[in-house]
Amino acid sequence: MSEQPLVDQKFLEKLERLALRWQRSFPGLVGGHNPSRYPGFGLEFLDHRHFHYGDDLRAVNWRAYLRFEKLFLKIFRLEPHTPVRLLLDASASMATGGRPKFDYARTLAAALCYVGLVRLETILLLPFRAGLEGSCRCAGGRHRFAPVAEFLAQLRPEGRTDYLETVRQFVSRYVDRGLAIVISDFLDEQPCEKALQHLADFGHELMLIQVWAEEDRQPPWEGRLELIDAETGGRLELDFDREARERYTAAFDAHSRSLRRLALGNGGRYVGLSTDVEVEDAIFGPLARMVGCE
Amino acid sequence: MFFLSLTPGQFLGLLAGGAALVLALYLLDRSRRRQVVATLRFWTAAREAPRTQRRRRIQQWPSLLLQLAGLGLLLAALGGLHWGTRGPAARDHVLILETSAWMAARTGQGTLMEQARALARACVRALPARDRVMLVRADALATPATAFESDRATLERAIAESAPSATALRLGQALAFAARAQRLRGGSPGEILFVGSGRVSAEESENAFAPPANLRVITAGGPLENCGLRQIGLERSLRDPGQWSILVVARNYGAAPQRRRIRLEFGGAPVGSEELRLAPGAEGSATFRLRTQAAGWLTARLEGRDALAADDEATLELPALRLLRVLVWSGRPELLRPLLAANPWVRAEYRSPAGYEPDAPADVVVLDGFRPPVPPRKPAVWIEPPAAGSPVPVAGRARAGEAVGWRPGHPITEGLGVRDLRLEGADVYSPGAGDAIVAEVEEGPVVVARADPPKMVVLGFHPGRSRMRYELAAPLLFANLLRWIEPEVFRRWEAHAQSAGSVSVELAGEARGRVRVETEDGRAVPFTQGERGVRFFWAEPGLIRVLTGTGEMVYSLSLPQVAEAQWTPPAAVRRGLPPGAVTEPRAADLSPWLALGGGVCVLVEWLLYGASRLRAAGRGGLMGGRLGRLRRAAIKVGGRGR
Repeated sequence: MSEQPLVDQKFLEKLERLALRWQRSFPGLVGGHNPSRYPGFGLEFLDHRHFHYGDDLRAVNWRAYLRFEKLFLKIFRLEPHTPVRLLLDASASMATGGRPKFDYARTLAAALCYVGLVRLETILLLPFRAGLEGSCRCAGGRHRFAPVAEFLAQLRPEGRTDYLETVRQFVSRYVDRGLAIVISDFLDEQPCEKALQHLADFGHELMLIQVWAEEDRQPPWEGRLELIDAETGGRLELDFDREARERYTAAFDAHSRSLRRLALGNGGRYVGLSTDVEVEDAIFGPLARMVGCE
Repeated sequence: MFFLSLTPGQFLGLLAGGAALVLALYLLDRSRRRQVVATLRFWTAAREAPRTQRRRRIQQWPSLLLQLAGLGLLLAALGGLHWGTRGPAARDHVLILETSAWMAARTGQGTLMEQARALARACVRALPARDRVMLVRADALATPATAFESDRATLERAIAESAPSATALRLGQALAFAARAQRLRGGSPGEILFVGSGRVSAEESENAFAPPANLRVITAGGPLENCGLRQIGLERSLRDPGQWSILVVARNYGAAPQRRRIRLEFGGAPVGSEELRLAPGAEGSATFRLRTQAAGWLTARLEGRDALAADDEATLELPALRLLRVLVWSGRPELLRPLLAANPWVRAEYRSPAGYEPDAPADVVVLDGFRPPVPPRKPAVWIEPPAAGSPVPVAGRARAGEAVGWRPGHPITEGLGVRDLRLEGADVYSPGAGDAIVAEVEEGPVVVARADPPKMVVLGFHPGRSRMRYELAAPLLFANLLRWIEPEVFRRWEAHAQSAGSVSVELAGEARGRVRVETEDGRAVPFTQGERGVRFFWAEPGLIRVLTGTGEMVYSLSLPQVAEAQWTPPAAVRRGLPPGAVTEPRAADLSPWLALGGGVCVLVEWLLYGASRLRAAGRGGLMGGRLGRLRRAAIKVGGRGR
């Protein structure tokens, strides 16, 4: 029996009109589609400067020379090829919830990869648990999407999450700055804000996509509960009632707000998605409205 | 206070079981639930002081009490809880209503049946309302008209539809049936109530049966004076077929001697009258003779008025006389005339062979010693036909003085062959495949019969010319020949008018083997066959035919079967209408109010506790998630529409 594909053809056709954008300007080589504030080889005029020996004569503004008898050099806006890296949480906590968050997250990742492939971006898909796992490089246009889908389909949510170790490996392995898209539930025993701040400090633009199941935010149970941590196996017993649920939800929302503050404070973006929202609605709704994805 | 459908023990057992189940479900609902979550990080924020000691303990007493109260009330409603005291248990009575023919007898206050119906209705009304009654109509058979029924309207309708039948009462059988019905019903049997005249057959009166202990007799009517026809028998005279012998039997069922005149009418014209003196309980008979060859209705009427008019008149249908027409083509008629004149059922006509007509009107043709130019198309008897024109090939001529041997078993030879008959000479035939040999000599067959229509018999000798003319065998042979050719004409016919019920028919020895009993429209009637005849039972008025090989007996069961004796119940048997129903204690049915109270308890518990749990589950649970998705989908569709 064949497995259900991550995204169907109709959905992919709808994704053709989207593009990945980022807010920061990254230096780099030409070949990208997002303009940068850095001058370089491009098509869009940026400024003039005085000619110095060694400059490319092809960039001299000869009309200005005829008028002022001085050599001015035309400077163009650079459209660098910016690396896009997508970090996908594949820990055991992503398997919890009535509708598993991991299925939702990898469908979302597949959709973003396809958007990047359509715009000839190069996207590095990086699953992580306690550290970075094996990566998958997506480039070369939409017809290279099948290997990405296969890579995502063979992933299984398991193991613990360690954001600090993951970020440490990331910044040491990928020194050139770029867009870092993190799809995770950001539910770890240790706060993940420090690790994400570390990632931002190294110059990466953060796009945080928090995925949660409804029971992660508002647990439906009442009475005596014995709770087991999906990653650590830790146990906790408590009496859960309406007041406790309110306190729980407040703590969860505070966590989401701190993630949002962290992303926006570092020039990045944040969106929180419940698995009850269909992936298509999420892509064309909160994600499309999010600055940088249009 | 009592339960209509449960015993207190059953109620308490069910309540205890239900309460245990509710309590178990309650504790299970509030027991520790194991759940895998993504992280324990936020749960610690939600946790207050640990309350592990509350596990498995009742936390919401009002909820549990409301559930238990609701369960108890609903269970009590289902058990049919009544306020008051329970009356005696319902009993099963059998009401035997006599519907014998005698119930049509008229008294000064209508017929006995009308009186019995009124008494039966009074019986039903006198019994307690919860008691069940089976109505059984009793005549020669006991027929249940209803099941054990507590609906009085149904019973009264069945009583009103009861009518006198044509048969007499067989009370012992009806009482046994009622006792068996009560035994099979189980429960608590009530009384067997007999309503009727109690007039039974002499046989049943002599063989006294033991009435059941719970019998109550309600007698309708009293002694009545009645005389009635018992039987009418008709038979044709054997010597003179045009004359009927008629026997009329009447009986005096009353207590006073009677003088009644019997009048006989045929086709509306009086043909006879005779006065009978009938002692109480005695029978008398009158014999009449009627000469007629025509068909018609014969009516016997007992003059005078009495209680039962239905047995004062009986009518029988007489068939027309049919004689066998025999046309004899012979040049020597004097030889055959004595043979045919001996049979009163035969009308013979003699003609010369010179004037032979193949289509001359006749039932049987006799061809004496000549060969007709055209063979007859009717059944024929050939006597010494010429060898050239014989229908059966002639093989030769037998010597004079040959002894004739009659083949036994053939209908033509019945009664023949007892004496040594020697012929002066005869033609010997060589019969075909379908021919039967009737008589033969040493050289071969001399009498051959052919059963294929038209039937034919060939005689190789003349019975009136040889020494056979001096023997009784000669007319007997001709009689047998004609009977074999046309058996319907010689069939013995009797008619009897009598009452419906059991009929015994005595049969002669030769007729016992081939008996059929059937109704007027040809339906078979079951019968038993004994050494002396057959016996059958037919309860409805009608015409029954008993067919044998040699005759037919018609039984017109038009007279009612009136029983001869009056049954007197033993002194121990209760008499009269049952005592009126004791005022039943009134008990109020609490079931509706208990059901309402149970429903209110369940509703209050749901509003106070169940709904809040569902709301909480709906906010975050799977169902809540689906509801939320549906809600959001509805909003989205609305938004797109705008």
